[in-house]
Amino acid sequence: MISKIIKRTKISEWAYIVARVKVMKRKLIPIEDYNKLLNMDLNEIARYLEETEYKKEIDELAFRYSGVNLIDHALSLNLSRIYSKLIRISKGLPKDLIVLYLRKWDFWNIKNILRGKMFGFSNEEIEATLVPAGEFDGEFFKTLLAKESIEEIVNAFKGKPFYSILEKILHGARLSDVEDELDKFYYTSIAGLSAESLDSKYFIDFIRMEIDIVNMKTIIRLKKEGVPAEEIIPKIIPYGYQLTEDEARKLAAMEMEEIYKAIENYWFVKDLKEALMTQPISKIENALTRIWAERMIKKASNYPLSILPVLSYMLLKKIEVDNLRILARGKESGMSVEDIREQMVIV
Amino acid sequence: MAVEGMVAVGAGLAVGLAGIGAGLGEQGIGAAAVGAMAEDPGFFGRGLLMTVIPETIVIFGLVVSFLLMFM
Repeated sequence: MISKIIKRTKISEWAYIVARVKVMKRKLIPIEDYNKLLNMDLNEIARYLEETEYKKEIDELAFRYSGVNLIDHALSLNLSRIYSKLIRISKGLPKDLIVLYLRKWDFWNIKNILRGKMFGFSNEEIEATLVPAGEFDGEFFKTLLAKESIEEIVNAFKGKPFYSILEKILHGARLSDVEDELDKFYYTSIAGLSAESLDSKYFIDFIRMEIDIVNMKTIIRLKKEGVPAEEIIPKIIPYGYQLTEDEARKLAAMEMEEIYKAIENYWFVKDLKEALMTQPISKIENALTRIWAERMIKKASNYPLSILPVLSYMLLKKIEVDNLRILARGKESGMSVEDIREQMVIV
Repeated sequence: MAVEGMVAVGAGLAVGLAGIGAGLGEQGIGAAAVGAMAEDPGFFGRGLLMTVIPETIVIFGLVVSFLLMFM
């Protein structure tokens, strides 16, 4: 009985982190403000951000950068600080799950560094895209950036379970294939775990739903580009939630009209069917992201004392940062308000 | 054992068990209230109010124990 009571005290771990995250969620930019933001110029956007949660980062970086670069750097810095904060303020199982989820950013950073180095971008440009929120910190990625050759960067990960994947670059593998394999490694290493408790099951289901979305985006994008099925199939990530590996492979071999019919009963299909045939890829991807986020918000309110509210906040924060980045970049390149709005995911 | 002794044990249990129950109830509420307050100090009043709501059950326990002891 005592062990049961002690076990139940874990409720307080969830209650604490979920309450904090719910208050943090209130500080996200409200949907109504996007309309105002769309009609502002770059300086006005920077000034608007100074009145929000991004103030600290904008103030800190204002003497080094200006215009769109300032916004870009501030957004990345804020995102990584928010993620680090979530790790800092949680403990026990919530912390373990958050750390596990944030490992995604390690791979994101590694991919950006490799890609940036291979295509000759400056260290500063690469640094702006990094979000050090996972296992490795910002200092580690700075030392990676300082390295001259790809070989040295790859060797820095010797002993890590994904080293064998990175090593393939040194043996002449294509970077895009290595990137796909890293993604696959990340997702399968989590989705392949067996859930020990209901709390970890919610988390694993979340990852498996994300796999569905990622697979669907991959299939639709490559299909629209006319890539043959043999090239799409290796990119499919196993352990999907509803869209199993076999089903995803079948979809990859179908024509667009058949896919349109075959996906009828999947959870992510709402609002998507009309878009699928007529809209450009970016709009379909945005529709999928929106459906994904809406579904998560709903699930999070159904299971308030679980990891889901935290994950849905992380998702919404990422969407907000992406939106602001699209907005800043779009304004800089003189895109029309309507074009920018179409690129954004407003949930 | 004398009846008075049993009454005293009953009165003690009434307050003690009610206290434990309230404590268990408060753990989640207290943690959530502290979490919300850490992000926004404006939640102090509401957080405190919500946290002490389960305390009412202890008052019932206390009343029962008084009734037992002094009736």
